[in-house]
Amino acid sequence: MRLALRELWRRPGRFAIAGGVLTFITLLLLFLGGLLDGLYLGSTGVLRAQEPALVVYADDARLSVIRSQLDAPTREAIEGVDGVEATYGIGVSLLAALPPGADAGSDDVVDVAVIGYEGGVAGVDDPPAAGEAYADSTLEGDVDVGDTLEIGPENVPVEVIGWVDDTSYLNQAGLWVEAATWREILAASIPAAAVGEDTFQVLTVEVAEGADADEVAAAIDDATGTTETVTTEEAILALPGVSQQTSTFNAIIGTTFFIAAVVTALFFALVTIERVALYGVLKAVGASSGQIAAGLAAQAVTVAVGSFLIGGALMLLAAQVLPDSIPLRLEVSRAVQSLGGLVLASVVGAAISFRRVIRIDPASAIS
Amino acid sequence: MFLALREIRRARLRFGLLAGAIGLLVFLLLFQLTLLNSLLDAFTGALENQSGEIVVYSEDARLSLEGSLVQPDQLEAVAGVDGVAASGPLGVNTFTVTAGGTQQDAALFGYELDGPGEPTTLTDGRLPERDGEGVAPAADAEDGYAIGDVIELAGGAVTIEIVGVADDIQYSVQPTVFVSWPTYEAASTAVNPNARAVLASVVVAQPAEGRDAAEVAEAIDGAVEGVEAVTRQAAVDESPGVTSVSQSFQVIFLLLYVVVTLVAGFFFLIVTVQKLDALVLLRAVGAPPGYLVRSLLVQVGIVAVAGVLLGVGLAVGVLAGVSAAVPSAELFVIPSFGPTAQAALLVLVLVVAASAVSVRRVLKADPADAVGKATFGGLG
Repeated sequence: MRLALRELWRRPGRFAIAGGVLTFITLLLLFLGGLLDGLYLGSTGVLRAQEPALVVYADDARLSVIRSQLDAPTREAIEGVDGVEATYGIGVSLLAALPPGADAGSDDVVDVAVIGYEGGVAGVDDPPAAGEAYADSTLEGDVDVGDTLEIGPENVPVEVIGWVDDTSYLNQAGLWVEAATWREILAASIPAAAVGEDTFQVLTVEVAEGADADEVAAAIDDATGTTETVTTEEAILALPGVSQQTSTFNAIIGTTFFIAAVVTALFFALVTIERVALYGVLKAVGASSGQIAAGLAAQAVTVAVGSFLIGGALMLLAAQVLPDSIPLRLEVSRAVQSLGGLVLASVVGAAISFRRVIRIDPASAIS
Repeated sequence: MFLALREIRRARLRFGLLAGAIGLLVFLLLFQLTLLNSLLDAFTGALENQSGEIVVYSEDARLSLEGSLVQPDQLEAVAGVDGVAASGPLGVNTFTVTAGGTQQDAALFGYELDGPGEPTTLTDGRLPERDGEGVAPAADAEDGYAIGDVIELAGGAVTIEIVGVADDIQYSVQPTVFVSWPTYEAASTAVNPNARAVLASVVVAQPAEGRDAAEVAEAIDGAVEGVEAVTRQAAVDESPGVTSVSQSFQVIFLLLYVVVTLVAGFFFLIVTVQKLDALVLLRAVGAPPGYLVRSLLVQVGIVAVAGVLLGVGLAVGVLAGVSAAVPSAELFVIPSFGPTAQAALLVLVLVVAASAVSVRRVLKADPADAVGKATFGGLG
């Protein structure tokens, strides 16, 4: 093992080839992972922030928040179900907002998701006063606290009074307002989607302590006959494109790890061939196949980690120059996952050469 | 040539791994290329394949169909602009419909039957002639959108009979039905009795004969307040989502091409360096440099072609498998010939170009070195 690491230390250039390729594979992995995280986190913030365990939709909305409507009698029926501790109304409208001094139609216009809510949202205080909003911090830079945004084609004014984090919806920044303000904005901006008084699009349901969420969900749907109740996790996956994006990107990332393993296998196969005589000598003086294999594995791990560090640094630099339209989010958890996957793929790749190492006859040292 | 083939036969694992690596990279490339093309078609096909050559959005929508709502006075004003031969509303929205006996998401494109906005890629049947008729994507025919099928909205309050099917008219990756404007209005109010008004999402317009669509769009911009008019192609190319999807995939393609070049280039460089002594000896016994270079290029060619064939085979097999197993996965179609051939050719060119460093190394092998090498009996 020490010999292998010393070789790496003394002749790093020898490993530059595998390192170079793995660096680009790291870039690819981090970019793909960053895109997936950007799309997922940017789409799901509003639902991930919901504290209650269940989300209730109108059954003909097919789990679409925007197409769902739940009126007051339906809510009353839901609140009467055993195991329901509390309900909170939610409504979302995707609109454009004009910061002060900005021209309509210019790049200064920001896309927002206006969210009418009643509470039960992690990281978002109780609803502000009418005409005020908490804005998602992704708007910082375009908007300041105290600014009045003009929302939608009818320019409904809303004043930003504070920031909240990670609450985007379908990649539009969350703008949290009290329910009546949301209804007013919706009716003015999208008249065809206007909702009646006391109507929300969906309700989140806090389940009483000790009650089973799935059973409560089924009981709600039985009681109303017009709703579809799912867990918050299921509601997140039902957002347009979320589950498809996740499975497609995971398949691409998995293939990329496989390519990393093949590239490492190729490199160490070549390196091992070069060193057959040397390994013969090492075995002749007492080194075991296991020790030599461990050395190869150590080299693979070191090359993978080194490549990852360089690739990671390059990705951070690239993220600064990539256009804003690419929804890239570099998350520490994704980086750790990618590093683990790359190291594993490299060790598996290097292991292809173990067979050859084991077959080396120490007697070859004197032949 | 004989040596090149024999070396491959003797070192099957090494050359196999390289061909495998290239094959996987080509597979990844084709998989994503297919995904990108289908995604873009399924995102904006309906907009691209409707007859209005000019699309007029509300100014704050920034070319987003979902975000745009045009007021009645703007609709009227567009019609009066010099150079506009015909114009009309186009309403776009997603509804829950019952088709083929199941509830599904579908988009409705509502347009005036005697105005612009009709689908232009009809493959079977006819265009709607009255309210309650629609044209659906041919790709969704099996899901309850075949000619003669009836789809229902709002529990049957609105019904639409499919009278024609057309190619590439999906919008936002969902079935899209072109219907008359009154049908669209009826659907909007049926699903939401609280609806206060049904506005057009955009205005679609036709330029007068002999007038350029881009110029007329500019004239509309100048004459009508609060709108942004663009040509149909610009509307498709600049749709929110399309740019970011294209740019994201371009970065991925670039990285894949770089990796394939590096893997192939470095592999042949290592192999060449490892057999440099043998090459020097071959040169010393009379092998011309051209022969050695040709041998190397034969190996490069064989590995590259094998890798590309493996990648194309994998892509076709996997994508055909997915689309057969999951009929609703319309994005996973067998890659079409043009883009596949283009990508495969580019990979072949890159792999051959990547071997240039190895070729240089072979050409530099000096026969005189043979007498200086201790391993060849020289003085070292």
